[in-house]
Amino acid sequence: MSAIALLFLVLGLGLIGWLTARVRATRFRAGSTVRFSSLPSHHGWFVALWTAVPPLIFLVIWSMTSPALVTDTVLSTPAAMQLPPPGFDRASILSEARSLAEGRSFGAFHGLSRTLAPSYAAAQTRYDWIATALALLLAFAGGAFAFTRVKPGFGARTQVERVVMLMLLGASLIAILTTVGIVASLLYESARFFHVVPITDFLFGTHWSPQVIDGRDPGASLGAVPLFWGTFFIGAVIAMIVAIPFGLMSAIYLTQYAAPTTRKWMKPILEMLAGVPTVVYGYFAALTVAPAVRDFAVSIGISWASSESALAAGLVMGIMIIPFVSSMADDSIAAVPSSMRDGSLAMGATSSETIRRVLLPAALPGVVGGVLLAVSRAIGETMIVVMAASGVATLTLNPFASTTTVTKQIVDLLTGEAEFDSPKTLAAFALGLTLFVVTLLLNIVALRVVKRYREAYE
Amino acid sequence: MTKSLKMPILKMTARNVSVAYGSKIAINNVSIDVDQDEVVAFIGPSGCGKSTFLRTLNRMNDTVASARVTGEIKLDGQDIYSPDMDVVQLRARVGMVFQKPNPFPKSIYENVAYGPRIHGLAGAKADLDRIVEKSLRRAGLWDEVKDRLSDSGTALSGGQQQRLCIARAIAVDPEVILMDEPCSALDPIATAKIEELIHELRGRYAMVIVTHNMQQAARVSQKTAFFHLGSLVEYGNTSDIFTNPREERTKDYITGRYG
Amino acid sequence: MSDTLVPQIPTTNAEPVRRVPTDWTTQAMQSRIRRRYASERRFRFAGLAAVWLSAAFLAYLLITMVMQGASGFVETRVSLPVDLAAAKLPIEPARLVGRGADLALAGAGLEGTVLAAASAKYGKDGANLLSDGAWAVVRDAIKADPSLLQRKAVFEVPVSSPIDVAAKGNGTPDAEAVVARLKASGALSRGFNAGFLTSADSTDATRVGIWGAFKGSLLTMVVTLLLAFPIGVLSALYLEEYAPKNRWTDLIEVSINNLAAVPSIIFGLLGLAVFLGTFGMPRSAPIVGGLTLALMTMPVIVIAGRNAIKSVPPSIRDAALGIGASPVQVVFHHVLPLALPGILTGTIIGMARALGETAPLLMIGMRAFIAAPPSGLKDPATVLPVQIFLWSDQVSRGFVEKTSAAIIVLLVFLLAMNGVAIYLRNRFETRW
Repeated sequence: MSAIALLFLVLGLGLIGWLTARVRATRFRAGSTVRFSSLPSHHGWFVALWTAVPPLIFLVIWSMTSPALVTDTVLSTPAAMQLPPPGFDRASILSEARSLAEGRSFGAFHGLSRTLAPSYAAAQTRYDWIATALALLLAFAGGAFAFTRVKPGFGARTQVERVVMLMLLGASLIAILTTVGIVASLLYESARFFHVVPITDFLFGTHWSPQVIDGRDPGASLGAVPLFWGTFFIGAVIAMIVAIPFGLMSAIYLTQYAAPTTRKWMKPILEMLAGVPTVVYGYFAALTVAPAVRDFAVSIGISWASSESALAAGLVMGIMIIPFVSSMADDSIAAVPSSMRDGSLAMGATSSETIRRVLLPAALPGVVGGVLLAVSRAIGETMIVVMAASGVATLTLNPFASTTTVTKQIVDLLTGEAEFDSPKTLAAFALGLTLFVVTLLLNIVALRVVKRYREAYE
Repeated sequence: MTKSLKMPILKMTARNVSVAYGSKIAINNVSIDVDQDEVVAFIGPSGCGKSTFLRTLNRMNDTVASARVTGEIKLDGQDIYSPDMDVVQLRARVGMVFQKPNPFPKSIYENVAYGPRIHGLAGAKADLDRIVEKSLRRAGLWDEVKDRLSDSGTALSGGQQQRLCIARAIAVDPEVILMDEPCSALDPIATAKIEELIHELRGRYAMVIVTHNMQQAARVSQKTAFFHLGSLVEYGNTSDIFTNPREERTKDYITGRYG
Repeated sequence: MSDTLVPQIPTTNAEPVRRVPTDWTTQAMQSRIRRRYASERRFRFAGLAAVWLSAAFLAYLLITMVMQGASGFVETRVSLPVDLAAAKLPIEPARLVGRGADLALAGAGLEGTVLAAASAKYGKDGANLLSDGAWAVVRDAIKADPSLLQRKAVFEVPVSSPIDVAAKGNGTPDAEAVVARLKASGALSRGFNAGFLTSADSTDATRVGIWGAFKGSLLTMVVTLLLAFPIGVLSALYLEEYAPKNRWTDLIEVSINNLAAVPSIIFGLLGLAVFLGTFGMPRSAPIVGGLTLALMTMPVIVIAGRNAIKSVPPSIRDAALGIGASPVQVVFHHVLPLALPGILTGTIIGMARALGETAPLLMIGMRAFIAAPPSGLKDPATVLPVQIFLWSDQVSRGFVEKTSAAIIVLLVFLLAMNGVAIYLRNRFETRW
């Protein structure tokens, strides 16, 4: 039986449990004048939960363990004796046999997988039936147990509400699980990488060319400093040179000068800049901006200018970040009490003097925090650099030269045709870990700065 | 300024001033004179428009987009709402102290130096230092803060903050100082200090003070204006208003019938 | 104050100087004020310029895409007389209905017939004029009207990509010459490229369509929504309404705030390592894409949800508790319904972001060339933004307009979603 059908079957049983328990509870309530703490629907939910939740938990656990069980069964068949020793080949034959058995593919690259497919199918069917039987058994047992407890004095409501609370708690734990998952998977793969490549080579090496890795000394061509520099140069320098003045000045204009109607229209329009998907920016950068930048560079005499320059990617990234800086600055300026503004204006300061000498200094921590968040976003941005920046890692200060970034290299490394545990692939996780740590630190610092600043005016 | 000091010199005059926010009329046809050497108190129940009127005297109402001011307000005979009146100069000449102390989040020194700096009143650093000291002395704050001028102005106590704001207003050497309930956020001791300060500053600056505290009005002012529902009910010598008001409404308010 | 930052002030006890009013009318003062006003105007102008330039960037971006993409919805056709009677295709009329018709016509050599007709009409390179999909137009016409097999007819078939590009004024000199010749003879026409909306990826620029990617996006978004929305709302409810103030709650909050700011590509790495690596889920599948994007979207929904829940005034909770409702009833009967518009707004914005997301999906292999729309959650699929990325990488010139056309479609959807979010926000915005 397919997983979906089983799922619906279990849910259907839950529904039946809900209905029967409700009917029963309604009946005993009708014959009584006593006030009950629980409504019929509470009894219904109580039974439904007891019917559906145990088999669902079972099915989740089962779906994680059964593939291993099925494989074990297959391995114990005589045909499996011909399998090569554990390794890449063995794994690929097994996965091929599995997809043959499930009807997902029809051709087989390895002859052996064809012979293994029938035993796979048989084992799969057998375990599916076991799963169905166990799930139904659990559903009926749970339902029956719960149904016997549906009595006039039973506090079904407390029980159901306890389950609801558990669900809420469970849902909020997903966030922690995700964080743990990110940290664990990045750490695990990076640890494997640093097993092959010394961490110092990676962090301090200045030569990056993963296309030609010397097997004896892979660290020599996996020094990430040029990537760190390129990321910093594009995301924290060029992009910010565009985003900070534009974002800050438009926030100032919209909050301090613009008429309410102008503000009402222009703010969403600027926010649209943030809503444009990054792939569109990347396409725009590669198709329109990069050639224009190169032509400009050539016209001022830099004949070797790259068509995948840091400037093109950085400019477009800066445009993308404008609304982000702008809304952070907007919030920070709005948080400065209006009495500051009045105090300054009342002394005969002009608006711009008030903004530059009173409002901005007062809002500075908030603005700085916002800029840090913007930097963290810019260095984690992927598609613009994937499409517009170069793949060649160079340590250069020249914005017309080609530079590459951490995110661009992650994509390049993982979309090649390498095996999963080659140093090349693992290097992507080490880069990912570095990126994660840096953005995390930036975010923590920025949020702390912003929070302290908000508190100062509350 | 060279005229005889015996004669009262009119510093500011308001004639038939009305203020409307959108369609709501906040001030209706008010006329008032402020003399060079006097402290004028505006009293009246909350929402009577006294603060609104005060803010028209240095055009702080300009910052509210919907506010419209009609009538005529003159400073030394010059219409402050005329197109050739520069609002920046006007506000430098007519300073203001707000209800809640609002020092800038800068050092004490920078708070006081702010006005002279923007208006270019001090040439050299030494001039600026002198202005800062002079202003803090006049505001009666110098002895308390002279050793910590680089501390933040927001770190002072409420009363000190308010005196800092007065020092800040004095530093640009204004001709008139408007005070919008300057003591309402302060404790009695701080209030007494501010009142003392107002006494000391009298004669040097014309002052207008909005207060909801009638004792305060009686203590610090020479003239008192009673506002009610956006209109000026009575304006005269403080001693007359508090002892022998002409209007029934003034009497009711002063004796505490409403307010 | 020996070592403070503030300069020493001579503490003279001299009497304050007599007041000399500032003379504002001097030349120096007047010119200073003029300078201050000039600087005020410059500052204000700089602000205005920043706003307008930012808006101009957006306008330029959109206009560029529309200008380039509009022609992607149009195909160039050439009129092609085909003598089907003479070709004598070996096919029985009975097989022309139902599902086998396509196979039957292909098997009977219809493609060859069409190519031969092109050579006959336009010389020996005539076959190169036609799109790979040209014969499919003839095929569909025959299916609609089998009597065509018995006569000679003129079909309007799509041209090949180089000719198409040339006809739109952007081709190579050779192709331009061919187009000029065809135009002179009146053989070219233009029409709406319906195939762009109904087919999937292809190697031939004239045959590509966004339906496959669109369906992939749809399936992925369904998974994302089904996971992220309930989990996000429940977490928001827990954190805002029930969570005790302790270290665990702090940890959850910190996690959520940080997840909201983690670069999207990191989620891709997570998906690759955990969903593909550990759990062995299929590559390129919408289910994995949906899971990955759900983890990314969930924090957005939690944060929006918490803000919406926070804005429900405590008085409503007190009122419900006061008449004996349990905490769970208070939340599900009163707080949640009142907060729902805000939560929905946040959800739509989060979903719009997920719909435009590319990088994490590249990590989990959704960048493969997939010529058939996915039919299930485990089928290999691609999504709209990834499709755009893939086409943008193509060398053939015909893909430029298709890329921009796909961008237009994506932007229309995002605009619609954001529009709905703004509408919801304005419609249900309640000031308590």
